[in-house]
Amino acid sequence: MADEEEDDYLAMSFDTAGSKQGKETSIQRTARLKKEAAERGRVPSKRELADQAKAAREAALATQLDASNKGAKMMAKMGFKGGALGKSEDARTQPIEVMLKEDRGGIGMDSEKKRKIREAAAEVEDQHKRRKVDEVEYRERTRNEREEWRAEGQMWSAMRTLEGFETGGVATGAEADDVRGHAGDASKLTETEHKPLRSINVLWRPLVKQRLEKERDRRMRYDLDQSLSRKGDYEDPDADQDDKLALGAEVEELDEEDPELEELEALSFAERLEKIIKELREEYYYCFWCKYRYPDEAMEDCPGVTEDEHG
Amino acid sequence: MAAEQQTSRFKRRKMVPADDVDRKNPYLAHMYNDNESQHDSGVSLSDAASLNGHPNGNGSNGSAMKRHATTMKQAQTAEDGPHNYFKPAAQLSDRYFGILKTRRGLPVHAQRQEFLDMYQKTQILVFVGETGSGKTTQIPQFVLFDDLPQSQAKMVACTQPRRVAAMSVAQRVAQEMDVTLGEEVGYSIRFEDMTSPKTILKYMTDGMLLREAMNDHNLTRYSTIILDEAHERTLATDILMGLLKEVVTRRPDLKLIIMSATLDAQKFQKYFMNAPLLAVPGRTHPVEIFYTPEPERDYVEAALRTVLQIHATEPEGDILLFLTGEEEIEDACRKIRLESDDMIREADAGPLEVYPLYGSLPPAQQQKIFSAAPAPFKTGGRPGRKCIVSTNIAETSLTIDGIVYVVDPGFSKQKVYNPRIRVESLLVSPISKASAQQRAGRAGRTRPGKCFRLYTEGAFKKELIDQSYPEILRSNLASTVLELKKLGIDDLVHFDLMDPPAPETLMRALEELNYLACLDDEGELTALGKLASDFPLDPALAVMLISSPEFYCSNEILSLTSLLSVPQVFVRPAAARKRADEMKELFTHTDGDHLTMLNVYHAFKSPSAQDNPKQWCHDHFLSYRALQQADNVRLQLKRIMEREEVELVSTPFEDKKYYENIRRALVAGFFMQVAKRESSGKTYVTVKDEQSVLLHPSTVLGQDSEWVVYNEFVLTSKNYIRTVTAVKPEWLLEISPTYYNVEEFRKGEVKSSLMKVRDRANRRAAVAPAGRR
Repeated sequence: MADEEEDDYLAMSFDTAGSKQGKETSIQRTARLKKEAAERGRVPSKRELADQAKAAREAALATQLDASNKGAKMMAKMGFKGGALGKSEDARTQPIEVMLKEDRGGIGMDSEKKRKIREAAAEVEDQHKRRKVDEVEYRERTRNEREEWRAEGQMWSAMRTLEGFETGGVATGAEADDVRGHAGDASKLTETEHKPLRSINVLWRPLVKQRLEKERDRRMRYDLDQSLSRKGDYEDPDADQDDKLALGAEVEELDEEDPELEELEALSFAERLEKIIKELREEYYYCFWCKYRYPDEAMEDCPGVTEDEHG
Repeated sequence: MAAEQQTSRFKRRKMVPADDVDRKNPYLAHMYNDNESQHDSGVSLSDAASLNGHPNGNGSNGSAMKRHATTMKQAQTAEDGPHNYFKPAAQLSDRYFGILKTRRGLPVHAQRQEFLDMYQKTQILVFVGETGSGKTTQIPQFVLFDDLPQSQAKMVACTQPRRVAAMSVAQRVAQEMDVTLGEEVGYSIRFEDMTSPKTILKYMTDGMLLREAMNDHNLTRYSTIILDEAHERTLATDILMGLLKEVVTRRPDLKLIIMSATLDAQKFQKYFMNAPLLAVPGRTHPVEIFYTPEPERDYVEAALRTVLQIHATEPEGDILLFLTGEEEIEDACRKIRLESDDMIREADAGPLEVYPLYGSLPPAQQQKIFSAAPAPFKTGGRPGRKCIVSTNIAETSLTIDGIVYVVDPGFSKQKVYNPRIRVESLLVSPISKASAQQRAGRAGRTRPGKCFRLYTEGAFKKELIDQSYPEILRSNLASTVLELKKLGIDDLVHFDLMDPPAPETLMRALEELNYLACLDDEGELTALGKLASDFPLDPALAVMLISSPEFYCSNEILSLTSLLSVPQVFVRPAAARKRADEMKELFTHTDGDHLTMLNVYHAFKSPSAQDNPKQWCHDHFLSYRALQQADNVRLQLKRIMEREEVELVSTPFEDKKYYENIRRALVAGFFMQVAKRESSGKTYVTVKDEQSVLLHPSTVLGQDSEWVVYNEFVLTSKNYIRTVTAVKPEWLLEISPTYYNVEEFRKGEVKSSLMKVRDRANRRAAVAPAGRR
């Protein structure tokens, strides 16, 4: 006890030595002792205690038992030379980690949080990088992006035109399908849903597939959320069942592999667009750029195959 | 008795036509080789002869069953009666034939011949049958009719991970075989043996078979051993597998069947030298699985919402919700009841009956989950349903019919052990993919069902481990190591386990046993170790019990050990916490919880309480079941003490050292579970591991005890020690000098405090003899 006091005293005088020089006054001394006593007597908050306990626990959990352990010595005598126990090759060498769950977050919540933090960090970094890119490169890239985007839009539009011809529908590329609501989708769906996906021309198959996927997503959401939150006056379980049966078949098909489609999708948008335009011309004498269906193969008034030729 | 005879006469008359058919059956010829008047005795004689005298049936009776060469047809003929094959003097009852019909409809029955063929050909067989296939009840019977253990004066054993399962399955099979439970078919669980010399089929906990192996390394009493529910990978099953892998090489006549409910059978096959596999499909319907689009912020809240939405919108069918523990479950039940009442009032929903289900629930309460769903409020109204909120005991062990919807938040309470801080605790942890599939499967027992997983599909794939960790990786192995030593396994390091634990786990176990003086420094069993292994207890408890005569209190320590081996005796219902606490105060001994528990036991045994013990327990907020169980455990332990000549003594109650002696005896077993209060306040720090802990709020101990022994370290967001009693530091140094070798302690409060105690004791010792001189 006496030792401790002396230690404290020395430490204190060393501190003050530089600034004041000379001995501390009795008033200072009383104040210091008071402060120190308060520090000693202060009851740490629950939070602090919990943190301390956690730190001690984690430190202990991270510390492997070493050779000084009595049990380790006994094991050495039994012929243990490190590594794992037993005879199987993939036996563990480390104890299972202790994970304390302190909240009621569901499975995946923690990693979701971590992912969001990571993403935010990545975005900040991205911004940094982006600023560094010089202007020429930036223009080049945005131009490419814009072209890509445009080609994609034209490709979908061409697909819809082709679909219109093949199904005998009236669709022309000008109308954007996306803006239509579910009703439009659903009616289109009924036209094609009895047809196996693969029997559809690969050039506009993505269109149908996309619709089916959208519908499936909608139904899954509907099953999970909406059906559960509907009011108690809901009394139509049969229709639900049928829907699901129909859906079940689609789901299987959607998940099937489709090498033909994969091959097509490996091409760039512009290349795909080109293919569709060619098909339109050959089969239907329709020029995507003139937006006109010519009466015969010659397609006389059409300036050419590419967009550029159409001015 | 008279009534029984009457029914049996009635039966016989009824069976006459059947008899005629049987007469033409060549497989039954041996039953009719005498004239009618000698019918009964004739059967028993010829059976006895073929079973005992001529096991191979080479007597006059050519069609008798030949051991390990029988057919399904022969067995079925024998089952068809009219006499009980294993009890030839007895007629089979009506109930028997009723059950027989059901049994023949079970999925395993269809593959009985296939099973027999494989069983006869191989020593080890892996059998996979989903829940509901009938494997637990039928396979052992299939074995009986081929193994004919009675002819070898041996038995067939079938192990179960749970006591309740062992008991209830034995009871069911005794019914199926039309015999009295405890005779031909019996069970054996810790602290209860329900078998007789007649027993040929014994259901038992895996732990019990392990205990038997300690005294009979080759398990010579058995001709076939069936390890059931092997997929649960309990500690005892894992050890048994390791052991039996060695035994089968020493005993070529022993047959072994590993039964599992899930299709991870390849692991078992590989482990058992590529044993052949037989799989029987269960009776299951497809289950549609739904995931949430986003991770849930609060899985309990999400679970409640899902249950209510199912009730509001889904067609008829019961709901099973998995949560983690008693408190969470009771709380959820309360909330669901409240909300569903609102739904009934406001949205015209059907009635919803909510039942909790967890291990510590009294059996009568548990039984309620089997009651039918409530009827609609009015005929033609919206259907009623029941909702069971359960821990993972409903995952595999209990089968509830009528479940169509399963809600799975993906968590369960699992035991974890970490050797670095020596804590074994139940923690809420994510389940495995295998568990999740098992849970989903519960929805498809009766008809196609739905399973709502409260996590995303991505989380299912990425965050859940494939298989749950076997218990051996999550347990303190001190008692297992002691058992292995007693089993004659000397090379613990290379013992071939299916999933060997981390080396540090073995290190700790050896260290603990060494400090308890059960193993010497070479790792050999000491006399104390041998004795301790005879008690079905944790080594610390066993050592405490064995050394208690030295402290003149073995009677009391015996009671205390029993109390520590059963579930919590204090009941504290949420609705009457205050009253329960007041009642507990009646028994309180200010020196600690152990002494308080002892007071409870003594009061329970007093004549006034024994007048109507059930009522007395109810009035005092005590668990009658736990106390009764403790009483039973005490009796069993007492028998072992008498057999091993451990003296039973007491200090007179009037003696002022009565309680002190008990506290000292506690130290003899629990010196490794000691904590010291920190000078700064109310936190304690555990000795050697230096973990900061708090006294559990349930303790009766005042805050002024500087040193305490504890029974349990509970790991939560705060560390608690539960069931604590005050001790004196002098006792620690005196009773366990090797563990309290002060020089070895790390510098700190504990060390300096112990040093002071030691120096004081030394001074006193130096002064005292001098003074006398």
